[in-house]
Amino acid sequence: MKRTMFFGIFILVASLPFGCATGPQFSMVQPNMVSESPDEGRIFFYRTSALGAAIKPAVMLNGEKVGKAIAKGFFFVDRPAGDYEVVTSTEVKRKVSFVLEKGQTRFIKFNVSMGFFAGHVYGELVDESVGMSEIVNCKYTGGDTS
Amino acid sequence: MARLKNRISFVLLVGVAFVAGGCAFDLAHVSFEPTQFVQPLDHCKTFVVANDVPIDAPCNYDRLLRKGSSWKLVGTIPKGEVYKPLDQVLTVECSNIFEAYLVVSEGHMVGFYLPVEKGFVPLSKGIELPME
Repeated sequence: MKRTMFFGIFILVASLPFGCATGPQFSMVQPNMVSESPDEGRIFFYRTSALGAAIKPAVMLNGEKVGKAIAKGFFFVDRPAGDYEVVTSTEVKRKVSFVLEKGQTRFIKFNVSMGFFAGHVYGELVDESVGMSEIVNCKYTGGDTS
Repeated sequence: MARLKNRISFVLLVGVAFVAGGCAFDLAHVSFEPTQFVQPLDHCKTFVVANDVPIDAPCNYDRLLRKGSSWKLVGTIPKGEVYKPLDQVLTVECSNIFEAYLVVSEGHMVGFYLPVEKGFVPLSKGIELPME
């Protein structure tokens, strides 16, 4: 009986949105959607779901840590045109690859799928229209690299 | 008796965790052939998809070429011409996700070109593209 109760409480606590982003809303930050530098493109990273909020994997862009995939959060980076790979690691390493062009804006959405011990957070390249509409409910995390 | 059951459950749990801990979740890979990509002579060639075109992509992650979407010629590979989407994102997905362009030969989509990996992913059967 006790065990069942503990298990129930554990599941309840695990499902609460602890660990969600706490920064200012997208509408308050109002970032430019394109890079200020004509030689660069802008990549937005965001995660809309609060599911598995306690899992906040580092976001690696071509091997460099640029932020964390925090639930209900977003951040962006500017990079020169070229080929890019975004990798998130939880139980497994998941990768999304894409091309960034000068003046282009790309959106990487982080989704959560079931894992064995923990959820898997993985990036997905989405249409600009989808990214623009979904990111507005996210909060700015400022590319937390700590 | 209850104690024995608990012990057996514990041993089973540890056993499963031990076995599964060594498992790779990343089991589904996109198979692609490295290919040679050549810039096109005609940089202005485009087409518009006249109707929605569903595609049976690898790993059962189906894709849709949307009606009205525009595609621009960006190069050629031995299997056909490579067209990049101008107004929709196209990806191939298994455990990992790859941005993809269309490979078209004689009016049929024959596969995907992965611009980062510089590889070709063939379709099992060509799909006729309704072009405008």
